[in-house]
Formats: sequence, C-alpha cells, structure tokens
Amino acid sequence: MIAEMTQVVVMAGDGAPGWILAAGPAGGAATYWALYRYYRNTDKSHAYERDTLIAAQPVQGNQEKVDHISRTRDSDIDGDNSGNHRARVQRLG
Amino acid sequence: MASDQPPPRDPDGPVFDGPPLSLEEELAAARAEPEPGPDIDTVNESLNDGINRCPKCGSTDVRQRATTGMLVCLFCRHEWQEARVEEEFGLGVGIDELQGVVIAGGAGEISSDDDVITMTCGGCGADVVVDTAHAMNARCHWCRHTLNVNQQTPNGAVPDAVLPFRLTHAEAVEKIREFASKRRLFAHPRFKKEFIPENVLGVYLPYLVIDARAEAAYAGTGEVETRRWTEKNGDNSTTYYAADVYRLDRSVAFTVDDLTVEGAADRAQMGGSTTNNIVNTVLPFDTKNAVKWNSSYLVGFTSEKRDLDVSDLEPVLEDQLLSIGRSQVEGSLTQFDRGVRWEAEKVDVGGSRWVSMYLPVWLYSYYQENTKMLHYIAVNARTGETMGSVPVSQWRLLAAALTVGTVLEGIAGWILVVSA
Repeated sequence: MIAEMTQVVVMAGDGAPGWILAAGPAGGAATYWALYRYYRNTDKSHAYERDTLIAAQPVQGNQEKVDHISRTRDSDIDGDNSGNHRARVQRLG
Repeated sequence: MASDQPPPRDPDGPVFDGPPLSLEEELAAARAEPEPGPDIDTVNESLNDGINRCPKCGSTDVRQRATTGMLVCLFCRHEWQEARVEEEFGLGVGIDELQGVVIAGGAGEISSDDDVITMTCGGCGADVVVDTAHAMNARCHWCRHTLNVNQQTPNGAVPDAVLPFRLTHAEAVEKIREFASKRRLFAHPRFKKEFIPENVLGVYLPYLVIDARAEAAYAGTGEVETRRWTEKNGDNSTTYYAADVYRLDRSVAFTVDDLTVEGAADRAQMGGSTTNNIVNTVLPFDTKNAVKWNSSYLVGFTSEKRDLDVSDLEPVLEDQLLSIGRSQVEGSLTQFDRGVRWEAEKVDVGGSRWVSMYLPVWLYSYYQENTKMLHYIAVNARTGETMGSVPVSQWRLLAAALTVGTVLEGIAGWILVVSA
C-alpha cells in the first residue's frame, strides 16, 4: 500500500509537494483526538431529532434567485449549517 | 447527639403553624379564590403516605422485581403492578390539539426546598424521618415496617410516574465490564486498578417528559452550482465554480411525543467540565411503559429529586424543537447542492404537556482526583444502551500519537527523497 501511495505521489508531479511533510503532525494529532474521543465520548449526546416520535406535516417554503456567482474557488457555500441542526442562529419573534 | 433530637410531638396537642396573621391578612385569605388544581391530577389515590401493604397478605415488605418490572411481596410472593400512565391519564392522545402549557400534578412548581419529611408509621405510630433528596422509603426503626412517600410534595421529590428497572444488577455489571474492557489499553492506570463494576448503583433520575405541538420557520441562503471548470496554469490546475444564489424560507408544523429532558440542574449542565452528556446519551427510554407513582418501586434503589421547574425548561424545549424542525426541513434542500446557510429561525409552541417521571439508570461513577472530574459509565436500565467516560492516561495517548506521527513523517520524508 505504501509503495502504491508513493507511486501516486511521484506520478502527480516531478517532485512531491512540500505539504506532505505535514502528514506526521496531522496524523499524530488525529490519532490523539480519535483515541481521546473513543475513551471519553465527549461528543456524544441523545439524538432527540432522530429518537423521538415526531409527526410532521408537509414542509412549506419558497425560494427566490437573488444573485449569481460567476467564478469562485469555493466548492460550497460559506457557513453551511443545514446539517448542523443544533447550531442556533438569530431568533425571530 | 441525643440533645439534637427534637422532643416527640404530642399527636393530640395543637400544631404550631407560624405566628398569627393580621386582620387584613386573615380577611384576604378568606376572600381568596381557592388554589387551582393541577392540569392533570396524577395522584395515586389508592396509596397514602406511610405503609403500602401487599393487596393479598398485608405485608409491607414490598419491592420491585427487576426481571418482571412488577412489584413483589417478599412475604407471600404475590406480584402486581400499577397502571400505565399513558392510558390512565390519556397522555398518548390529543397532542395535535394541545393548547398552552399543560402541567401534570407531579411536575408542578417547586415551592419548598425542605427535603426532610416526617411520616407517622401506620404500624406503630412512631415518627420516622425521610430525606427525600435521596430516598423515598424508610424502615420504621421500631416495628420494621417499610414506610413510603406517596403523596406529591412541594419539593419536587414525588413525580407523576415511574418507569421500573428492567435490567438486573448482574446484567448492568456485565454491560459496564464489556464497555470498559474495550477501553483498557489507554485507560488511566489508577482507573484500571480501582475498577470494580459490581459497585454500580441503580438510580432513579428525574426527567420531564414532554408532548408538544409546534411550528418552526427558517430563513437563509442557498446556492446551486451551475458550472464547474478547471483552468491550467503551468503545472498547477485549479477548479472554479459558478453558482446561483437563492433566498429561501421553510416552515414545518409538527408534534413530538415524549421528548425527554433532565429535571435536575446538576444533570442538565452540559459542557467540557462535566460528563453529564454520558447520562444524556443513554436516552431515550420506553416512557410509554411508565406506571403510576408508587414509591415501592424505589425500594433498593436511590433517587435524585427534581429541582427544575417547567418555566426553567421551556427554553430547552424551544431549543430542541428548533433542532427537530431543522432536521425535518433538511429533506427539502436537496436542490441546493452547494449547501444552505440558515440565518434566522423561530418556533411557535402551540401547546405542550409536561409530565415528571423517574427513569431508571445503572450508574458506575469514578472520581478522577488529579483532574477533579467525575466520570460515569451509565446503562439505560430498560434498553441496555451503555455509554461512558473512561479517564485516559495522557502519556500513553501522547506516546501513541507520537509513534503514529513519526511513522507517517518517515514515510513522507522517504516519498520526498524518492521523488526528488
């Protein structure tokens, strides 16, 4: 596997990019964080959005095109919170 | 010690109920409207404070049998159970017609912080003190009868319903042992040395179980990708995107059935300084099977009394309803392939119904002295769901991280050398 990875990096250019040296610190930090979370479970909580009996009526809504971005390097919208249901935003009324 | 004890009260003597009121206060009290009763009266009329007798033989040696979830008389082995509150008080119906805040009797406002109550033993007449902060039963020290607190108290100690334990102590020990054994390698050495899962305690924790009818609305911005292309600049290539930007709003009306929130302030605090999220994670319970309050279910277990009122928890309910609404509208956003950024939201709670319950948890706790952190391994005593926080050995964790980092860095350096 390591040989295949090397081949891929070598084929990607004449020389491997310098950022590959960040693999060590990044891998070490990821290992620490993954093990810490497995033992301490600090990220766990009751998933009430999924585990509660909910009866919802059909979703209502509108959308209106207001702008066009003709050229950007961002692959997604800034501040996407559509999947983070518990991130509170400005409260109305 | 003996001088601290109050003298025994003459049962026929007058009761001192405070200094006399002024004439104005007496008149105001006489004219006052009677106190409104609870929205849902959940008092178990068949029980009184004091002695709960076996309906078959009259013994008071009654406790819950974990394997069946029923009450059992330890004298004649007769088994029986209280009625389910779902049917008894109509808690499963009419959620879509709820109006305003409906509060069951046991979830009423806490108006007293006096935990200690004195009961008169129905067997011999002795006065027996019960600290309701931790227990709802006591043995009469004279005649050995088991005394029970069954009437709803103003200190929040008596809930509307109780969900009996289903998992036995042995099953809980096995669950905790299995959970911890998967996390041995990097566990703190002192935790491993002092780990005795047999010390797990059965605890009834206070929760408020809520039915609610709500409508949530959201406004934000979404983007739809219209084009994607790659531009080459020398050896490098960059991907660019074009997108349409939309203003969008969504609303959804929904009902929730048996949303469960912590009723004790100490458990409701979530954050990095506590491990309360562990106990929160073993939710949900099968609250539909909760039965009418009978403190005999608590014999042999400890309990923690509720100290949060409905008014304290209304913001928590609104927060959870907003999250539920967001999860409901997520399915309507598939066309926005570059994502949606919600910027404003609101929730109108049309009606809510609050019932207080004691829910059963097997709790293994470990106090880590060097970090002053109380770690829990909790087992849902109905479903068996287990979650825990195991203290870690920081140096072992750092050693593992350093090893992995060094290996990866070595591979990266080798790749750089080979490709140079």
